[in-house]
Amino acid sequence: MKHITTVALTALVSSLTLAACSSGAGSTEAAPECAPADGPVTLEFTTWIPGIEDVVAIWNDANPDIQVEVQTGPNGNGGTYQNFFNQIEAGNAPDLGQIEYDAIPNFRVQGGLVDLSGCEEVMAAKDDFVDWTWSQVTLGSEGVYGIPQDSGPMALFYRKDLFEKAGIEVPTTWDEYRAAAEKVRAEGGYITNFSQTDINQFAGFVWQAGGQWFGNDGDAWSVELASDTSVDVADYWQGLLDDDLVATHPAWTDEWNNAYNSGEVWTWVSAVWGANSIASGAPDTAGSWAVAPAPQWNEGDEAAGNWGGSSTAVLTGSDHPYEAAKFALWLNTSEEALTALNAAANLYPATKAGLELPALKEGVDFYGGQAIYDVFADAAQQVVPDFTWGPTMTQTYSDVADGFKSAATGAGTLAEALESGQQKTIDALEAQSIPVAE
Amino acid sequence: MTTQVTAASASREHRPQVRRRTPHRGAIAALVAPFGVLFALFYLLPIGYAVYQSLLVVERDGTYGEAREVFGGLTQYALVFQNEAFWQSMGRMLLFGIVQVPVMLGLALLFALLLDSSLVKGRRFFRLAFFVPYAVPGVIAAIMWGNLLSPNLSPFKALTRNVDLLGADLVLWSIANVVTWVFVGYNMLIIYSSLLAIPAEIYEAARIDGAGQLRIAWSIKIPLVRPAIVMTAVFSIIGTLQLLAEPQVFQSFSSAVTSNYTPNMTVYATAAIPNTNLAAAISVVLALVTFVLSFSFLRFTQRKAQS
Repeated sequence: MKHITTVALTALVSSLTLAACSSGAGSTEAAPECAPADGPVTLEFTTWIPGIEDVVAIWNDANPDIQVEVQTGPNGNGGTYQNFFNQIEAGNAPDLGQIEYDAIPNFRVQGGLVDLSGCEEVMAAKDDFVDWTWSQVTLGSEGVYGIPQDSGPMALFYRKDLFEKAGIEVPTTWDEYRAAAEKVRAEGGYITNFSQTDINQFAGFVWQAGGQWFGNDGDAWSVELASDTSVDVADYWQGLLDDDLVATHPAWTDEWNNAYNSGEVWTWVSAVWGANSIASGAPDTAGSWAVAPAPQWNEGDEAAGNWGGSSTAVLTGSDHPYEAAKFALWLNTSEEALTALNAAANLYPATKAGLELPALKEGVDFYGGQAIYDVFADAAQQVVPDFTWGPTMTQTYSDVADGFKSAATGAGTLAEALESGQQKTIDALEAQSIPVAE
Repeated sequence: MTTQVTAASASREHRPQVRRRTPHRGAIAALVAPFGVLFALFYLLPIGYAVYQSLLVVERDGTYGEAREVFGGLTQYALVFQNEAFWQSMGRMLLFGIVQVPVMLGLALLFALLLDSSLVKGRRFFRLAFFVPYAVPGVIAAIMWGNLLSPNLSPFKALTRNVDLLGADLVLWSIANVVTWVFVGYNMLIIYSSLLAIPAEIYEAARIDGAGQLRIAWSIKIPLVRPAIVMTAVFSIIGTLQLLAEPQVFQSFSSAVTSNYTPNMTVYATAAIPNTNLAAAISVVLALVTFVLSFSFLRFTQRKAQS
């Protein structure tokens, strides 16, 4: 017995010493240096874009001295972010990683991103990007923490055939949307399915309404999940839930696909990439859909929200930020790469020139031949700039989702979910000594 | 009988005094080393590291200030004990365990006894059939049951549309059903193999004394496989407290499963923030609770066996 104790103690002590050595690594932000390497370079790039290998192959053929190796994984909140955080902590993160706009502050707080503002080519490309996407990667600072890749301007997908048959006008304001919801319900359908877990979609609604969820004055974060605008949006959807005007199938399940495929659900206010989701989830409805601008909070407004969109970021620990930035710029600004990304994964470019890609001017069969990307190009320009994301969005999303789920089952309300999400977010920040203004 | 035993144990005790040195020291060390190294590397070291992590807190200045990890004593543990959702999930798992474990082990024992009795034809087939669910990965099993229970996709719509098996009231028991389905066969096999080890002479003696099948099962088989049942119960208690995959999958089927529905899901969600220090502290507390519960169960059953 005594022997065992000694062995255990030795192991424990040695593990503590080991741990003490490894902690602290990777927590420093690199100074904005951006010098080219002397010889050939191999970069690692982790992303979850389907078909990215073919796009990277174009680059590798043309750039023998900067070879890029791609690894693909699950989407960010589905596991890749967790891997990134672990790899950054361990000091062996890939050079480049896909990071959605809403996760950039989270990675910056954890010291995971290389500031690219020292790279001349990056700074020169600033004006190529749609303005609000650039502010998503600069976080209101002098630094640049990623290269914008794509965006998710939101619009209204609707079942043109069903609306016409029932003689319902396509809603242009949220008030009209509610009125339409009542008529749709009378026809036996639901105007939409309220997703309890896509909190970033809900953030898009708040974003469109001109609200903010977070603020950052440099000294402290302010958490405003339960701000007036945010609660107004929540109350609007709560009204639809209370009156059984929206379906509440769990999102992204077969049940959900079935609701769209069977014609139970008539519209979806979603991002540009949603075009693909409907086409693959509800194949029986091909040709019956159309796209219109998202309903507005005030008649005559032209505001759009955004849902999703990623950047390509250089992660802490990369030895080659210059080459990594060069590749990220090519991937996200060159016409050949943007065309290939759009062909492979329907990515919607974050550059101004990208919005004019020939591929985005064509009619789409699934939408009855409508040139749907014209609607999104307008929306992309109407997205309210300077929406600020918090430093622990994964946690905020999952806590608000917990509340939204209860609300959908009749226990509590969406506004209460925002209140409790606000408190839990403040707790999560304080637990990591991230300053919060109360 | 008694004297023999004492004599044997006495001589065993004396032996080391006669031979001072253990023979084959080097061989023993070489044989134990692989286990020792792996045990230290993949068991003691991670536990030590988790304990170490749980004692740290993060400090930083400004909204994007650099993080410094400093020793924080039991700060993280104070947060764990204030975490209402975590203790609620602990209570939920206790309720789950109190109902699910006896049901599962009761079924496992029943199936094992049936397989062992001479009443059943096609023993091999049933042994395999009961065990097959265990070969299905837990995640796949949960997806399958999730679809079977969902209101509009289930083949049994008449039931699922009227009884909300994925609602707040029943989803815990729907998860219990999945766990039971997966693990009954596994536990049955452990108990069954212990039944096979009972010498046939004992049955013969019982039959000569006039005991029937039921009597043999109740008075001979069950007491003799008690250790196997206790072992499966301990495994099940540990498994219950560490439930993760099934509820994680059910999250996408049910609105009632939150991100901190079980203690392990809270660890998972906290690690994703990422707040590794707090996640480590929660893991350590969870491990201690598991340890205390399984050992009190063992003590309890031992005392009962002695009395």
